[in-house]
Amino acid sequence: MEPKLRVENLSVWYQRQPALKHVTLSVEEGEVLALIGPSGCGKSTFLRTLNRLSEEQVGVRVTGSILLGDLDIHQPQVDVTQIRRRIGMVFQAPNPFPFSIFDNVAYGPRLQGAADPAALRKIVEQSLRQAALWDEVRGKLRRPALALSGGQQQRLCIARALAVNPEVLLMDEPTASLDPLSTAKIEELVGALRGQYTIVMVTHNLRQAARVSDRTAFFLDGTLVEVGPTRQIFTAPQDSRTEQYLTGRFES
Amino acid sequence: MGRGRRLYGLSAVLAALGLAGFALVLGSLLKSGLPILTWHFLTSSGPGGIGPEILNTAVLCAIALVVTVPLGLMVAVYQGEYLRRRSRRVRELDHLRATLMSAPTIVVALVIYRVAVGWWHWPVSLMTGALALAVINWPFMVAVSRSALASVPDSYREASLALGASRFETVIKVVIPAALGNLIEGIGMSLARLAGESAALIVTAGVNVSQHWSLWGPGETLAVHIWYIRTEGLVSGRDAEAAATGLTLMIGISVVLWLASRAARLFGRSQGGYDGA
Ligand SMILES: Nc1ncnc2c1ncn2[C@@H]1O[C@H](COP(=O)(O)OP(=O)(O)OP(=O)(O)O)[C@@H](O)[C@H]1O
Ligand SMILES: [Mg+2]
Repeated sequence: MEPKLRVENLSVWYQRQPALKHVTLSVEEGEVLALIGPSGCGKSTFLRTLNRLSEEQVGVRVTGSILLGDLDIHQPQVDVTQIRRRIGMVFQAPNPFPFSIFDNVAYGPRLQGAADPAALRKIVEQSLRQAALWDEVRGKLRRPALALSGGQQQRLCIARALAVNPEVLLMDEPTASLDPLSTAKIEELVGALRGQYTIVMVTHNLRQAARVSDRTAFFLDGTLVEVGPTRQIFTAPQDSRTEQYLTGRFES
Repeated sequence: MGRGRRLYGLSAVLAALGLAGFALVLGSLLKSGLPILTWHFLTSSGPGGIGPEILNTAVLCAIALVVTVPLGLMVAVYQGEYLRRRSRRVRELDHLRATLMSAPTIVVALVIYRVAVGWWHWPVSLMTGALALAVINWPFMVAVSRSALASVPDSYREASLALGASRFETVIKVVIPAALGNLIEGIGMSLARLAGESAALIVTAGVNVSQHWSLWGPGETLAVHIWYIRTEGLVSGRDAEAAATGLTLMIGISVVLWLASRAARLFGRSQGGYDGA
């Protein structure tokens, strides 16, 4: 089967400083790919290149290619708006807008021109259900999103990303700022979304990677050291550096 | 520790002194102004009435704000949201803005007078006064808008961009709504500042009120009126009238500030993003 995303020879610099070096990696349709590696190895950079969010910063240079289906998304003539609708993102700290719960989820569809209230309500409900938040917020959709707990806010952000019906979901340490219970809920949610969406998830929590991902990629100093089925990476890594990292011999 | 306490004591004493001074001024204003502060005084014109002055003050401030709020916001959006790197042009513009902001308003007004009255042959009028106030206010408005936009966390911008919004959509639909509380508060502050302006308006809007009110006629404001009756002193009972006018102005400004802070709270001032803490 064709991979959903094919990253070839991707390099990224911040000003002169290289952050990613010649990364080649494919993401299969419907899988959960975990990205692990010590702090500063380029995981966030990699993720933010996949939806071209990196180019919003001054002084970022990207070479190589990223194919979404047949589309090379880093070609300048490609419309970033389209790319970002097809590739959604969830951030490390929950970042709902200071609007109501409803307006948060409806933000993306409204950008695309959805205005019919009934249709919007349907999209909002469906997205909140998918993000396993519906039961907690039904009947309270006009409340401010910032009044929700941190874990609820993060699920709201997932609902907001799902509302534009993306094909790929990028998650950058989505549970890093959450308590264990909220973390468990998000992990469960990722499990439920697997298959329906292609998910690339950065995590510092190795057990989390082991629990939720199909495959795992290990990054070190801007390079991809190895990628493979999660079970194999955790039990029989091919590269000694991966093993050192997994056994905690890097500080991270 | 001891030093901190001493400083604290000093600042408390100074604050008390300031408050006492303010109370003294307010007390004397109330004493001499309150007896003549009647509905008739507020609405009639001519000696013993400040109706036209109230109208002129409101009109001047309104025109100045209608011009400078969008302008200030536009400059702030351009600088803060589009030019991410602080280029030399931006720094020069900032420098100009800071200079203009710190220039005495009378100097700005004299320049406006030269240009509008001297070259364009505008009369000394509400319009000329409004132009002067707009020029005085725009650097302030840019600064207020800049800091309001800067108070919006970047994580909101990223979330919006990641959903496929353009930079423009992000500014219109997320950044400005999120900054609205701070913006309104800043607008209220600049309005209070404009309402108290006198020097610049003496030159550009004049010290008379015309029989037939018009934007192109002279337009004395409350602050100018106080100055005028205090210096000319042709009117009998000028102290009382100046005090009553001053009270009116103070009450008006307080109401504006109060409304602005209420509105700001309503629109979520000081509402930050969740930052993981
Ligand atoms: N905006 C930036 N400007 C300059 N350098 C940056 C920027 N963002 C990241 N870097 C650098 O690029 C490298 C990779 O950073 P990145 O954030 O991708 O790492 P990470 O793997 O996500 O780390 P963490 O686990 O701490 O989130 C680091 O050395 C970092 O200092
Ligand atoms: Mg990171």
